This record gives sequence, C-alpha cells and structure tokens, in this order.
Amino acid sequence: MEPISALMDGELSESQMQQHLARLKEDPELLHSWDMFHLIGDVLRGERLLLSGAFRRGIIEKLASEPTVLAPRRTKKKVFTYALSAAASISAVAAVGWLAFFNNPLAPSSEIARAPQSLPVTAAPSPQLSSVPSDGTMNEYLIAHQEYSPSTAIQGLAPYIRTVSGAPAAAGR
Amino acid sequence: MSWLRKMASASRQLNYTGTFVYRHGNDIEASRIVHFVNAAGGEFEKLETLDGPPREVIRTNDQVTCYLPNTKTVLIEKRRGRRFPSLLPAQLTSGIAEYYTVRQTGMDRTATYSCRILVLTPKDRLRYGHEFCAEASSGLPLRAKTFNEKGDVLESFAFTELRLGGKFDHDKVQSRYAAESRDWRIGRAASPSFESPGPTGWGLARELPGFRKVTESKRSIAGRGAPVSHLVYSDGLAAVSVFIEPLPRSRPPRSLSHQGAVNIYVRLVEEHMVTALGEAPVETVMRIANSLEYHGTANK
Repeated sequence: MEPISALMDGELSESQMQQHLARLKEDPELLHSWDMFHLIGDVLRGERLLLSGAFRRGIIEKLASEPTVLAPRRTKKKVFTYALSAAASISAVAAVGWLAFFNNPLAPSSEIARAPQSLPVTAAPSPQLSSVPSDGTMNEYLIAHQEYSPSTAIQGLAPYIRTVSGAPAAAGR
Repeated sequence: MSWLRKMASASRQLNYTGTFVYRHGNDIEASRIVHFVNAAGGEFEKLETLDGPPREVIRTNDQVTCYLPNTKTVLIEKRRGRRFPSLLPAQLTSGIAEYYTVRQTGMDRTATYSCRILVLTPKDRLRYGHEFCAEASSGLPLRAKTFNEKGDVLESFAFTELRLGGKFDHDKVQSRYAAESRDWRIGRAASPSFESPGPTGWGLARELPGFRKVTESKRSIAGRGAPVSHLVYSDGLAAVSVFIEPLPRSRPPRSLSHQGAVNIYVRLVEEHMVTALGEAPVETVMRIANSLEYHGTANK
C-alpha cells in the first residue's frame, strides 16, 4: 500500500514510479487498492463518483501507451494525505462505500453501482474485496458444480446457461 | 414441498421443446431447449443459445458436453450415480422446510400455460430466495427467479414459448458441432477422467446452518493436471462446491467473482488453491471457504 500512496502523492522518482506503475498493471489486487484510494479521494473531496471509473480507465490506457504522461505533481497534497489515512482503515473503506452506494444521487451511473447485486458493500465479511463478473476461467468448475446443484434437478439443463455465458467471447461486457 | 418434487421429476421425465430467456444483471439471453426421454428412460437434452456467440450444451444421461465453437473447445462432465433429488431425500423434506418459508401464492400464466407460483423465502441471510412458476398439470417449471434479501432479482429463467410432449427425436438432441468438433481442444483432465468418492482429508472447521455435506471425492477436472478434491454442501435448494487443488505456478490472488446468481471465491489454504462457488450469497460462499481446513488422514 505504501508505494501507492507515494505514487499518488507524486513523491517517487521517475524510475521508482515506472517500477510501481508496471507492478500496478500486473497485480489485480494492487490495482483494486489504487481504485479504492481514488474512489475514497473522490468521495471525500465531494467529487462525482463517475470520475473513479473513467479516471482509472484513462490511467490504464495511458499506462499502456505512454507511461511518462503520468508523472503527477500533486498540488492538492493535503487532501490526498487525508484521503489515504482514511483508507488505511478498512472500516473507513466500508463506510465510504456505503455512503457512496446509498447517498449519492449519481450512484446509479457510477462504477460502484453498476457492480453486481452481490457486491458486499455493507454485509460482507471482507469489504475490501469487491465481486467482478467471472471471466470464463471457472467454466470447468461451474459445470462440475452444476451436476450436484439442486437447481439442475429442478430446472434441468437451463442453469448451464450460466456456464456458457462466461465463454471468453461473451465476456468483457 | 410436493410441488418441488413434482417440478424436479417433470423436468427429467417430460418431453418438451421451447425457448427460454435468461436474465442476469442487465443482460438478457435467449436459448432453445429440447428435452426427450427415450423408451428405455434415457434422458437427452440440448440447450442452444440464440443470442451472442453460439454455444451448445448437450446432456446424454449422466454426461454433459459443452460446445464452445468460438474458442473451439469442448468441455465434458461425466458423473456417476443419480442426480438430486434422489441424492438428497432427507434435505428435501427437512432442510428446505427448516430454512425456507414455502408458500403457494396463486396462479399465473407463462408461455400460454397456466402455472402455479411457489415462493421460497429464506429464514436467514445465508441463502437466496426463489420463486418458481410450475405448469399447472405437469409441474414443469416454466419460470424461476432468484432474489437476494432486499428482494432484488439476481437472475431469472422464463419460457417464452413451449411445446409439451412430442416424440423422441435423436437428431434434435445432437450437437450441430458433433462432427467438426472432433478437431477441437477437448477440455479433459490430463489424467484419465475419474471420480473417486471418499474422504479427501479436507473439511469445514464449522459447518454453516443448514448446509450439509452431500458429496466428497477426489476427481479429475478438465484443464487441471492434478486431481482435485471436490466437496459439496447443500441445504436442499442451494449448493456450494469447494474445489481444492495444488497451488498453480503463479500464486493466484484472493478473488471474488460472480456468474448470474453464482458467487465464486478463491483463496489459498496451506499451499493449496481453494475455489468455493455456489448459488448462495457472498457471505455463505466465503464463510464455507474460510472455514476449510486440512485435517489429514486421507490420501492427499
């Protein structure tokens, strides 16, 4: 987490930054933290939640093409420091997520609100882990599971549609 | 309760052909389904998607084959023994009644057929609610919805067109890819396909209310080189599978994903990768996975 804060605060040297950006690209958990930190920052600054998704996507695109564009010289450092210390606590993450989810009128169009119904923002044992649509890599397990699932007995083959819905070509929506 | 049984036996024993719509999140997909039983009681079923990339699932008795032409992949799942509800007679009567409130709420109409509405509302937060509409005379489920504790529908199936009856026609339950798929990648386990029931050495430190272990085996899984331990916990209506395999070369991160009403949680336990998945709330799937431990004794 440290490097992410430093990265966001623009405290790293050029080479350190390149190194961390490369890691960010490869590590989904780290990327998620990066997302979360930005979301928290956005919410605490009272900015539109919409920024987070778009901001992240923009970052990813830039990472892919021209990483040097990203050397951030933060001027609003104080705000970020506050955001990050809040992020240090998991309960703060949950609280912000909860606020974002229920109180923000823009929420329906935000990334968080479009996340699945099962998103464990309030009740889940592990709020920092949000659920993403399956990418098709679980197909074999889904099929193996389906054979033992009562839903198969009640509905026949129909629930298998879940399994094939995750086919790579159908993913990415 | 008797309607649940009736639905299960209707979907296995009737001949029917129809189109159903599957809705999950904001996505809607239509599929064609054909189900036949031959004179000897053999079960043949074919599901074919009508939207998006073409995909087919074929059942021939205990073998299920998925054809994914886009990636030129065939997945085969074969299992021994009978499926639920023969598998779970006790849970059907005791478990469901204990953990769900079952109500018949009236009649409706689906795909021109009159159907009886059956609602199962969970008594705790560890399972989802279900609503079925079963064809009035045969009991065939024409509509099924899964909803969470807030009443949001997580996924639904509904026939839009259906023909009950019809004569067994083998051609209609064959894959259109049967011939060309011979050159496709077969997603079989590297070792010969096997399933050996019995203790795996894994178990839950604490079982979840209502979820009882219904099967435990070491088995092959398509695409996995090493045998995988497979445990299934069910309350009679929802089931959660736990798969335990040696750690892959690249350590997978802890992750949570979903596919329709199925939640999938991956974590690492004692140098093993544990994948828990089932049509149950995130909390249930995670608690089962987090409670998993190795207590030895079995041929690991």
